[in-house]
Amino acid sequence: MSRQLYERFSEAIQEQKDVALITITRHTDKALLGTSLLLEKDGTLYDEYQLPSELQSEIIKCSLPLLEVRRTKTIEIQYKETKVECFIEVFQAPPHLIVAGAGHVSEPVAEMGKMLGFYVTVIDDREQFANRERFPYVDKVVCAPYIDFFRHVPITSETYILLLTRGHQFDVVSLQELLRREEEMEPEERTKYIGMIGSRRRISGVFEQLKTEFTDHNFTNIYSPVGLDVGAQTPAEIAISILAEILKVKHTATGNSLKEKISSYSQLKFRERVRK
Amino acid sequence: MNNMEFFDKVMSVQKAGKKAAVATVIRTKGSTPRSTGAKMLIFSNGDIYGTIGGGCGEGEVIEKSFMVIEKGRACQHQVDLTKGIMYEDGGICGGIMDVFIEPI
Repeated sequence: MSRQLYERFSEAIQEQKDVALITITRHTDKALLGTSLLLEKDGTLYDEYQLPSELQSEIIKCSLPLLEVRRTKTIEIQYKETKVECFIEVFQAPPHLIVAGAGHVSEPVAEMGKMLGFYVTVIDDREQFANRERFPYVDKVVCAPYIDFFRHVPITSETYILLLTRGHQFDVVSLQELLRREEEMEPEERTKYIGMIGSRRRISGVFEQLKTEFTDHNFTNIYSPVGLDVGAQTPAEIAISILAEILKVKHTATGNSLKEKISSYSQLKFRERVRK
Repeated sequence: MNNMEFFDKVMSVQKAGKKAAVATVIRTKGSTPRSTGAKMLIFSNGDIYGTIGGGCGEGEVIEKSFMVIEKGRACQHQVDLTKGIMYEDGGICGGIMDVFIEPI
């Protein structure tokens, strides 16, 4: 990969764009092995090698659908009499994790969120909490009233939101603003996860009100109380529990122990594969 | 490891003028330790950065990489982890992966 290609590539990722990195992994002309190209969603192909235009358009034609569905795959392209093998690697713009409230739990949540590859934004309305010293690792720290922030922040199906503010009323107004915006969106465009901290009792009061206020929202993406039941007590433990739940939702997984897929160890059988 | 970090590393190695190779898992079949897209950087002294799954399979890839670095030409190598269970090499995964190795 050349320096120019790398710069194009990192720029696209920073702008939250999905791109495909295409590498020629098999070709009759051995000198072309390892040739890498960059394809953007609008069909722009960055090719420093000046491959023949028919091959270029063939590559674009085969790679675009993969980029569209974000699938990394090795494919074979028929070009004239030869077959060219290309490794199409899709790099997605990172999913966005918004942490509202910059308190004790938010610190490990934001830090672990970064470890998991999220683009992390922390928002709080108090300057002494929403600052870079407390959150040196995150992508963005915003100091603004919650309602203003949630009125304008872009939301997509790749946005994960956590409401962990100091007062339940801030969580609720933020949630109301989000629900209001989501009601205007198609269900598949809505966020997959809005987590709100709170006790069962508190939440029941809130939802009593919300269900009369928002009749076009099924609340399936609302997770409250937040987190998986792992007995979390400390901020770090709570962060693990919350992020485990977010991963479960993101990957549409069960959240169960993997061992539950195995009924009993004594009945497990291993069969040696017979090679022909 | 974040993917961008890997490319950052590749760029800094290039800039330093060090000889190295990049190995990428481009195809997998059955159960393999890492999935398609896993990457590893191999230096001519045998140092590595990142992993494509460890064990014997990775050892083979490292061996091949020396050749790639020396000749300056990319190649493919197939790692077969279907042989046996709990052998010393720890190849207990039971799958096959194709690895593309290129000089940088």
